[in-house]
Amino acid sequence: MNVKIIVAAIAIVVGIVLGAVNFLESNVEYTDFAAAERTHKKVQVKGEWVKDKESNFDSQTVKFSFYMKDDSNRIVKVVLDGAKPNNFELATSVVAKGKFVDNEFHATDVLTKCPSKYEGTSEAVQKTL
Amino acid sequence: MLIGTLAAVIVKIAFLSALAAGFFYYRTFKLQSNRWLLFARSCYHIAALSLMTASAIFLYLILTHQFQYTYIWNYSSTTLSLPLLISTFYAGQEGSFTLWALYTSIIGLFLMQYASRKDYEPEVMSVYSLIVSFLLLMLVVKNPFAFIWYSFPNDLIQTGPVPAGISNYVMLDAVKNIWARYPVEGKGLNPLLQNYWMVIHPQILFTGFSSMAVPYSLAVAGLLKRDYNSWIRVATPWSVFGSMVLGTGIILGGYWAYETLGWGGFWGWDPVENSSLIPWLLCVASIHTTLTQRKSGAFVKTNFTLSLLTFITVLYSTFLTRSGVLGDTSVHSFVDPGMWVYWLLLGCIVLFAGIGFGLLFMRMKEMPKVPVEHSFISREFALFLGAFALSFVALFVAIGTSSPIITSILKGKASAVEISYYVKTNLPLGIAITFLSGMGQLLWWRHSKTSSLLKSLALPTIAGIVGTLLVLTMGSEEFLILLFTFCSSFSLAANLQVGYGIFMGNPKFVGGSIAHIGIAIMCLGFVTSSRYDEKKTVSLERGKAVEALGYKMTYVGYHPIDNEKYGFNIEVEKGELKKIVTPTMHFSEQTRSTLRHPDLINFLNKDFYVSPVSLEEPSQDNEKSFTLLKGTDVDVADLTVKFVDFDFSNFEKGAMLEGKSFVINVNLEVLEKGKKKQITLKMQNLGGGGPEFIPVTYNSTDNKSYEFRLVRIQPDKEDKSKSQMEFSVKMPQDPSVPQKGETLVVEASVKPMINLVWMGTVTLIVGFALTISRRSEEARAQSERWSKEA
Repeated sequence: MNVKIIVAAIAIVVGIVLGAVNFLESNVEYTDFAAAERTHKKVQVKGEWVKDKESNFDSQTVKFSFYMKDDSNRIVKVVLDGAKPNNFELATSVVAKGKFVDNEFHATDVLTKCPSKYEGTSEAVQKTL
Repeated sequence: MLIGTLAAVIVKIAFLSALAAGFFYYRTFKLQSNRWLLFARSCYHIAALSLMTASAIFLYLILTHQFQYTYIWNYSSTTLSLPLLISTFYAGQEGSFTLWALYTSIIGLFLMQYASRKDYEPEVMSVYSLIVSFLLLMLVVKNPFAFIWYSFPNDLIQTGPVPAGISNYVMLDAVKNIWARYPVEGKGLNPLLQNYWMVIHPQILFTGFSSMAVPYSLAVAGLLKRDYNSWIRVATPWSVFGSMVLGTGIILGGYWAYETLGWGGFWGWDPVENSSLIPWLLCVASIHTTLTQRKSGAFVKTNFTLSLLTFITVLYSTFLTRSGVLGDTSVHSFVDPGMWVYWLLLGCIVLFAGIGFGLLFMRMKEMPKVPVEHSFISREFALFLGAFALSFVALFVAIGTSSPIITSILKGKASAVEISYYVKTNLPLGIAITFLSGMGQLLWWRHSKTSSLLKSLALPTIAGIVGTLLVLTMGSEEFLILLFTFCSSFSLAANLQVGYGIFMGNPKFVGGSIAHIGIAIMCLGFVTSSRYDEKKTVSLERGKAVEALGYKMTYVGYHPIDNEKYGFNIEVEKGELKKIVTPTMHFSEQTRSTLRHPDLINFLNKDFYVSPVSLEEPSQDNEKSFTLLKGTDVDVADLTVKFVDFDFSNFEKGAMLEGKSFVINVNLEVLEKGKKKQITLKMQNLGGGGPEFIPVTYNSTDNKSYEFRLVRIQPDKEDKSKSQMEFSVKMPQDPSVPQKGETLVVEASVKPMINLVWMGTVTLIVGFALTISRRSEEARAQSERWSKEA
């Protein structure tokens, strides 16, 4: 009986530790480029696409690169592993997830934040009258 | 009165009747007399019938395109096919709450009959009616019949006489001449949802969600009745039914994501997927722990807890995905439904958790304490550990999915967990679950003899080793994956062995083994298809064959499927086989995004899966544009181009605004090696289809051709020297640089043995179905025994 309780307790403790460690590890922190450069860890940076600087999709390497300005106004070239994200042109802000490598931000993922679906609805109503 | 106003009143009636049903059922239970029973029943029937009526009205309004209603305008349009039009019923929040409430109330009608035979009606229906009434309250707050002019008063409500020629209006106040216009077309259904999955998948999922309310209600009823043991026999058929239906819904969603949405796999650990997985896991765990209680009477509190949690997590899941708390952290867009829904859902969780766990706490002391008598090598212990592991998976998934809430409390900024979190935390648990699902079947209740156990272990262990070796040949892998493969193969063989024995004895009892076989096959499919898949991004230039992953692929061109959607044909060759796959891309004006749909070739032992990434048109970067003031010039390669003047001689004043035809000429002077030449660029509008810019080709003396085109004009009437124009020049091709053709970029992947996943799913569902029939027979036998005793 006691042995079973001990086994169960160990299982619970191991489970909680496993979960907590993984949870903290896989939560990607929000920072700016300066902090990202210092840590070299995987982070998320929120910012804006700098539209008047070049952006380019290389179909050979399948990488999309563009310039992004973070909240502290630093402009860095972002190289995304993949195609141009959906809604990229419309995005009011973008979030790049990745690491800082040699003056470039290597992103594995770029999320776009678009103006709320409901912002233009008044216009949509007018259109369907 | 408009029909929607009536429907909204009917919904309110349904809400009040459900509330009354709950109250009078509770009185019936408290008074222990049937004085109010008939009345309570009628109230429930009125509630269910009213909701059915309101739903029928809602469907009628959708089918007849009544865009006077905000919801219908938002999600429907006249261009949808009939099945899709019907599916707009649950395309949005209000509609899916309606569907949930409707299915819950219908299941309640069956539950009422069932419970009255089992002598459980007043207790269970008092709880269940309360649940129905809360779902209906959601519809009272979030009215699906809201009129569009109240949603957009500034745009639609007007005062004064109605202008002639307007027929799509409603008089709101005839005395004050207040009226409202309404749209004649809807915004339409999100193109992402426009396929046959939308017709079938939500229906099944909501049936599953709705049936999860039954085990909860029966658990509370058991607590109310102080019946701590036999309630589980009453509840089990429902728990198994709920698990079967919800499980089917979940896996259909996975197939939808794989086949149509192009997620590349059948599971993306997305909040929407996770949130239906959590209650399913807990429900399955409860099915296992109740088995022990049947045998030995142990796990009384565990069984109450798990059954209560099953429904509470359904509410929590709804809260996560419907209240807007997850915000921007997911690929799904979660519409913020407003504070009312947020607090109502939160209130629901607190209320139903409070009722369930409050009662459990109150009754805790009087519950029978059953000393645990089983040993380590007993089926009870295996079941306990298995259920424990399932609950832990549920907990980890719940924590991961709630990450934005947790992190925003701890760190002040919401962030989601990486997908790797789910894999890392759940893989060890998956190993335990598959091992126990095999081991548990080989063990006896209470205690197993070591000698007989070792004998029965032989075959599954061999199978485990063979399976692991087979997977090893597919490529080296990490230890945990191999262990998972071993346990899955072990479980498969163990359950086949045990299942065969049971089938020979009593085929009715084989459901559990079959379900475990299904799970084992699925797990093997998870390993082969997601851990041994090969992926490669390939650029396919039109007409040129490219070899990837052992397949020869040639992009042969695209064709329009409908106005915004294009199919990209790729010829795939491998040995004898020659097939065309057609992934599609779709630029949706409505959502203003590109939708990409994959295509695949399904072989017996693998899928060849092609998902489109992008289409690269031939590069245009040899085109340059220049802006010139009147009288100035600019160097363009070997040429000097001067802007002479505008020529408005073929232009009537106001023509551009009135849409009349016009021609505007721009005279340029090109200077090349001392020679001058005039060229005229034209901007014209002949057919009234908007201005066109006509390109002009200039051939230089060394036989290069430059293509000029007008981009913009900016005449200045007061100071003509400030007149400006912009033009572009396509530079001559440099023959030494080969020009690149149209290129399609795709991601090709091979998913070995993915058919195992689907096969396992079907097997699992068959196992559930057999178990339902066995457990409902058992419940029937129990109630017959009771009535004999009585």
